[in-house]
Amino acid sequence: MTLLWLRLAVVLYGIASLAVLPAALYNRPRWSQFAIPAAIGAAGLHFVSLAEMLNAAHHRLPVEAHEVQSLLALILALLFLAVYWRHRSVSLGIFVLPIVFLLAALAAFRPGQESFSQPVHTGWVIVHIVLLLAAYAGLIVSLLASVLYLIQERRLKNKGSRLDRLPAVDMPLETIDQIALKTLLFGLPCMTAGLLIGALIAQADYGARYFADPKILLTFGLWIAYIVSIFIRRSSGLRGRRAVYLSSLIVLVVLFVWAANQFSVVHRFATP
Amino acid sequence: MSSVTQQRVTPAAEHVSASSGILLLVGVNHTTAPIEVRERLSLSATRLPDAVRTLTQQPGVRESMILSTCNRVEFLVWQEQDEGRGNTNLLRFLHEYYAIPASSVEPHLYEFRDREAIRHLFRVASSLDSMVVGEPQILGQVKEAYSCAREAGAVAACLEPLLQRAFSVAKRVRSETQIGSSSVSIASVAVELARKIFGSLQGKTVLLVGAGKMSDLAARHLLQQGATSILVSNRTRERAALIAGQMTEQISAQIVAQPNAPRCSIEVVAFEQLYEQAARADIVVTSTGAETHIFDRSHGLRLMERRRNRPMFFIDIAVPRDVDPGVNEIEGCFLYDIDDLQQVAAAHLADRSRESAEAEKIVTAEVEKYHQHLERREVVPAIVALQENAEAVRQLELARAAKRLGSLTAEQQAAVEALTRSLTAKLLHPQIVDLRKKSEER
Repeated sequence: MTLLWLRLAVVLYGIASLAVLPAALYNRPRWSQFAIPAAIGAAGLHFVSLAEMLNAAHHRLPVEAHEVQSLLALILALLFLAVYWRHRSVSLGIFVLPIVFLLAALAAFRPGQESFSQPVHTGWVIVHIVLLLAAYAGLIVSLLASVLYLIQERRLKNKGSRLDRLPAVDMPLETIDQIALKTLLFGLPCMTAGLLIGALIAQADYGARYFADPKILLTFGLWIAYIVSIFIRRSSGLRGRRAVYLSSLIVLVVLFVWAANQFSVVHRFATP
Repeated sequence: MSSVTQQRVTPAAEHVSASSGILLLVGVNHTTAPIEVRERLSLSATRLPDAVRTLTQQPGVRESMILSTCNRVEFLVWQEQDEGRGNTNLLRFLHEYYAIPASSVEPHLYEFRDREAIRHLFRVASSLDSMVVGEPQILGQVKEAYSCAREAGAVAACLEPLLQRAFSVAKRVRSETQIGSSSVSIASVAVELARKIFGSLQGKTVLLVGAGKMSDLAARHLLQQGATSILVSNRTRERAALIAGQMTEQISAQIVAQPNAPRCSIEVVAFEQLYEQAARADIVVTSTGAETHIFDRSHGLRLMERRRNRPMFFIDIAVPRDVDPGVNEIEGCFLYDIDDLQQVAAAHLADRSRESAEAEKIVTAEVEKYHQHLERREVVPAIVALQENAEAVRQLELARAAKRLGSLTAEQQAAVEALTRSLTAKLLHPQIVDLRKKSEER
């Protein structure tokens, strides 16, 4: 049943990903009437599926790669819906919804069969995971908004006959810039709190040796890079191409941190 | 009636005309009449009520409306059965009311009846017949004409639903197509672009460099959209002060009209301080007569540095150009010269033409729907008469039978009542169906 909900959610995410294209790229706002309800329905089913999945596994926290992917997809979808609710624009969905679709599809069609021993401090571990995933989602949305900014900037600069070669974006540049910055600012406290909670749990359960692991060190490196990127953006008003480079760099570090979960001795996804 | 006159009376339309009157629309517009003719027929808002009343008092005219804009003057009437008189009443009205020989207007007139009149009205309200297709003003003008005719008592049972439908068709066309979504004038294109960069213009500063009609118009448009600070700079300070004064007057008038409108400050900037002050501006509108660039690439770079990369929009309306095209290459700087603006306006116009095909389909479907509604409405009196007659016969026969039936219980009375009603309804049913069918066939 759990997988059925998730697969239905994947279908709806797919519909939303397709419907958002004419709405955002071809200036056909009526397609939003399909994209948004589909995305809302998908997020609802996704939540039910995730809750059921974790409940059926007799633990309340996502520990396996596909569970974490599924949760990240859900947070991304919710962020997209929050941006839509605030700005009434589906442009961000061009990039966010296909990513959500892929992440959810991976979880729906390649589910793991983990055996998991109940950890201590389960509640705090959940908070740790959700906060870190929220920070990652914020970072990803920020990067996508920066790409959107770049597209809109190029479109405005190209003018005239070349005006229609790039996709139309139904949000003003300043709004896109605000989304890029605000999602980045939203991610920082999430990451800080998530790391702090994780560090306290690790200190209590494993002691100082936990912090010598390269994956953990890389995670703290990511946190510093995150702070530096916000500082640069705020102090120099970084926008456009250079903002995309900066955000891409941070997302690259996130991917390294994610991949390190497969190799770390002390911090890794549960194995099948 | 000349070659521009169009008479397309369909069989169905003839039926409408024959039984309940005829819908007639006569007029001139920018495609059929030169401005000299249009201005002779044009009616100011103060004259319009009297003209509508006079038109409605013409023999045979039951209801009427006059639409008078700078591009068209149209007379819409619902008049009694045609009997070959056609537009005689209207032509007489034109001759008498305007005191002009009919021959001077007739060659420019077009005429539509019934279905085609409905179609024309829907097209006009939807801005498909406008000089600039998709312009939004026409719907407001049709609504004003309707209000005026209604207040004059010239719009009633026939034109009222037709005009209401015209408004809803226009709304549908606007919401289901992109016909009015983009701007086609230079000033409004500039505002639209500014909105694409900044979103809301609330709190934005506009720098006006030089003086010119177009730049003045663009600045006024930006002001109307919420820009809250205007800096005016010119080589001659007096000229800058004059422009600032004119704008202040405009703002004062705006505040009187709309007390809640956001306040706007206007400041004169000495030309010598232009480069220091320009960093304050989000939008720069230039239209000087300078032979060389006022803003070159190095100015752009310095401005972006001082603005910490906040976007800046240059609208260069001057010829020769005031802003070096290289400025557009700087990240965060957006430059549109007069050719760029015209190109965007032309592209938008082409978009509207494409969208108008879609809008025409909506209008055609709506005309068909409305016509069917009219046809159905036409058979209603006949059906009602039939039913009333049958009911009268039923009541009469019941009264006759009552004496023979003697005293009946309440249940028996109800049974007789139900029986006679059912019998009448069943006998009438084929006739009613036949009436509706014939109406549809026609």
